[in-house]
Amino acid sequence: MPRVAIIGCGKIADQHVQAIHRIPGASIVAVCDREELMARQLAERFGIGGCFADAGEMLRVSSPDVVHVTTPPQSHHALGLQCLDAGSHVYIEKPFTVTAPEAESLIKLARQRGLNITAGHNYQFTPEMLAMRRLVGDGFLGGRPVHLESYWSYDLGDLNYVGPLLGNPNHWVRQLPGQLFHNLISHGVARLAEFLDEEIVELVATAHQSAYLRNLGGQDVMDELRVLIRDRFGTTASFCFSTQIKPGLNQFRICGTANSISVDLMSGSLVRHVNRSYKSYLTFLVPPMVNAREYIRNARRNAVDIFRQRLHQDSGMKELIDQFYGSITGRGPAPIPYREILLTARIMDAIFAQIHATAGRASIPVAARG
Amino acid sequence: MSIQMPREFIVARTGRILVTGSNGFIGAKVVEILLEYGFSNLRCFVRPSSRLDRLNRVIQKFSAEKTVELVSGDLLSREDCARAADGVSVIYHLAAGFDKSFAGAFMNSALATRNLADAFLERGRPTRFVNVSSFAVYSNLTLGRRAPLDEDSPLEDAPQERYDAYGFGKLKQEELIRSYGQLRGLPYVILRPGAVFGPGKKDLTGRIGVDTFGFFIHIGGSNQLPLTFVDNCAEAIVLAGLVPDVNGEIFNVVDDELLTSAQFLKAYKKVKPLFSVRLPYAVAYGLSMAWEGYSRRSQGQLPPAFNRRRCAADWKGNRFSNRKLRDKLGWEPRIRMKDAMQQFLAQFSARSH
Repeated sequence: MPRVAIIGCGKIADQHVQAIHRIPGASIVAVCDREELMARQLAERFGIGGCFADAGEMLRVSSPDVVHVTTPPQSHHALGLQCLDAGSHVYIEKPFTVTAPEAESLIKLARQRGLNITAGHNYQFTPEMLAMRRLVGDGFLGGRPVHLESYWSYDLGDLNYVGPLLGNPNHWVRQLPGQLFHNLISHGVARLAEFLDEEIVELVATAHQSAYLRNLGGQDVMDELRVLIRDRFGTTASFCFSTQIKPGLNQFRICGTANSISVDLMSGSLVRHVNRSYKSYLTFLVPPMVNAREYIRNARRNAVDIFRQRLHQDSGMKELIDQFYGSITGRGPAPIPYREILLTARIMDAIFAQIHATAGRASIPVAARG
Repeated sequence: MSIQMPREFIVARTGRILVTGSNGFIGAKVVEILLEYGFSNLRCFVRPSSRLDRLNRVIQKFSAEKTVELVSGDLLSREDCARAADGVSVIYHLAAGFDKSFAGAFMNSALATRNLADAFLERGRPTRFVNVSSFAVYSNLTLGRRAPLDEDSPLEDAPQERYDAYGFGKLKQEELIRSYGQLRGLPYVILRPGAVFGPGKKDLTGRIGVDTFGFFIHIGGSNQLPLTFVDNCAEAIVLAGLVPDVNGEIFNVVDDELLTSAQFLKAYKKVKPLFSVRLPYAVAYGLSMAWEGYSRRSQGQLPPAFNRRRCAADWKGNRFSNRKLRDKLGWEPRIRMKDAMQQFLAQFSARSH
C-alpha cells in the first residue's frame, strides 16, 4: 500500500490524515507546508516523520507514492504538476483547479506519465451515493436521466470562516474567480457532471447576495446561486447553492423515464420513487406509506452500519481515498472519471463567467472540449 | 468599587500601548481600565469585520476618540502586525479566534502570536508583551482531587487525546512566547485566567457541566470553580503590562471567595430556570473512559469529545490561589465575589433580555 505525503497542513489536512489512518497498509511519510510551523504541528500531533516547508525538497527526500494536495486552490495546478513530474500520484482537494484549462493540463500530464490523479469530490462516495450509483447502473431509471437536481447549503453562522474573508479583500477565497462559490460548490456540481453529457447546450446562472451577508458587511461577495443546465441529449439539471435555507440541504434527485431516486446526504438516506399508480383515494394513502417504509429502511441500515462501525462522519472521504489507492495498485478503476472532473471544472467556469459578466440572465453555451 | 492605582509603571502614561482583541469580552474592559489609569496613547487592533459595540461604548464613556486609535487588520498578516506594532512599548495580546479545528486554533493562537511578536521586536519599543493564555493549558490528571493547582502544575502533554483544540493552540502559543523570551529576548508575561464571567457573557462555564444532550448535566458539584470576574481579570492583565521586574513570569488569574459549581448553579437557577441532572464525578469519569475507548476502537467513529483528560480538567475539582498575583503584581480584586455574582445575574432580569 502506498506511502503518502500531504502538502498543505490547514484544517482539511486533519480529515485526510484520519481517513488515511483507517486504510490498512497506507502510511503517511511526510507533511509539507510553506508555513513550517503548520507542518510541524500536524507532524507532531500524528507522529509523522517527515516535516518540510518546501514541496520540492519533500518530493526529493521522501519520494511518496501519493501526494494529497490540501492547499488553497490557487496553488493546486502548480503543485499538481510538480508532484506528477516527481513521479507521484496526486489527490487534489476541491476545487480541483481554478480553471478548466488548468484541470486539462494536469490530467494530460498524468496520462503522459502513466500516473493517477483525482479530485476531492468525496461526497460522491458516501454510502447512499454509492447505493444510488448501483441502482442507476442496474437500470432503475429506465435509461438516460431526464432531470437532475442538486441542492448544496453552507451555513455562514460560523463567523470563523466568513469573518476573515469578508474583512480581507486579499483573502484567498476573495481572489478566486467565483469567490465564495468557487470554494464551496464543487461537490454540488460534481454530482450533476456525473450524469450530464460533456456537450452542454445551455446554462443559465443567477447569483445574488443574501440580506444576512449584506448585514455582515459582505461587500461584493455573493452567497446565493441558482443554475439551470441542459445537455445535448436533453437531460436538464438544476443546481441551488444557498447559505440561507434552513434546515441546510445536501440533496440530489435523479429522475428517469421509469423511476426516480432521491438522496439526502445530510441524513444518509436514499429513497426510491417507483412509478406506480393507485386507484382513487389510495393515491393519498399508499405512496406516503411506501415512502415511510423507505425511510425506515434507511434508518435501520444506518443503525446497523453505526453499530458495526462501518459508518463514519467522513465515510465518503475514506471511500474515495481507498478507491484511489486501489486504482494505483491495480485493484480497480479510477474512482472519478477524468471527464467528470473536467466537466465539473467547465461548468464552474461557465457559471462564474456568467454571473460576473451579466449578473445573471443571458444564456451562454458551454462548448465541449477534448 | 475601589481602584488601586499602582505605584510605579514601566511605561509612561503617554507610551504607546497596543491591545489586540480589544472589542472582546475581556479586551474592552482592559481598554477601559487603561483609560481609567490615565494612559493616553492606546492603539486597539480589531478585525475588519468586527462589530465594535463594546469598544465604542468604552471610548464614548471616556470621550477618548482622540486617545484611542483603531487599527483594523488580520494578525495572520505580517504587514498588518507591523502596522499595529509600530512604535508600541507594551502589547496586551488578548485576541483569540475560536476555531474547533486543531489547525485553525494553532493558526489563530501560535501563528498570529509569532507574527505579532516578530513585529513587536522589529517595529516596536519592546518593553512588555502580555500574553493572555488560559487554564486550558494545565493537566491535572496526576493531581489528586482538591489538590492545589498553581503556576507550577504540569501542562497538558496530550492535547490531541484531550480533544481540546483551544487548549492546544494556547499551549503552542505559550511555547512560542517562552522560546522568543529565551532566544530573542522578548520581555513577556503570561497570564492564565480561569473561568471569566460577568455581564455580557451569559453562558455557563463548561466547568459546571454540559448541555450537549438536550438538557443540562451538572457534573460533580463540590468542585471549586476557578472564577474570575471580568473587571478583576482585566485589572490583573493591565497590571501585568505595567509592573516592573516580572518579565518571564506566569500568573494564574482567579478571584477570592471562589464558589463551588453547585453554589454557582444554584444562584444561576434562581434567575434563570434550568432543568439539570446531577452526575457524580466518578460516574462522569467512568463514562468518559468508556467513550474514549469506543472512539479509539472504532477509529474515530465518535470523536473523543468526552475523555478522561477533559473530564479531570473540567470537573475533578482542584483548589486555586491568587497568591502570586497579589505578591508580584500587587493585584487586589476590584469586585468581591458576592457583588460580582449580583452583577452577573442581573443581566438575566427581564429588562436585560
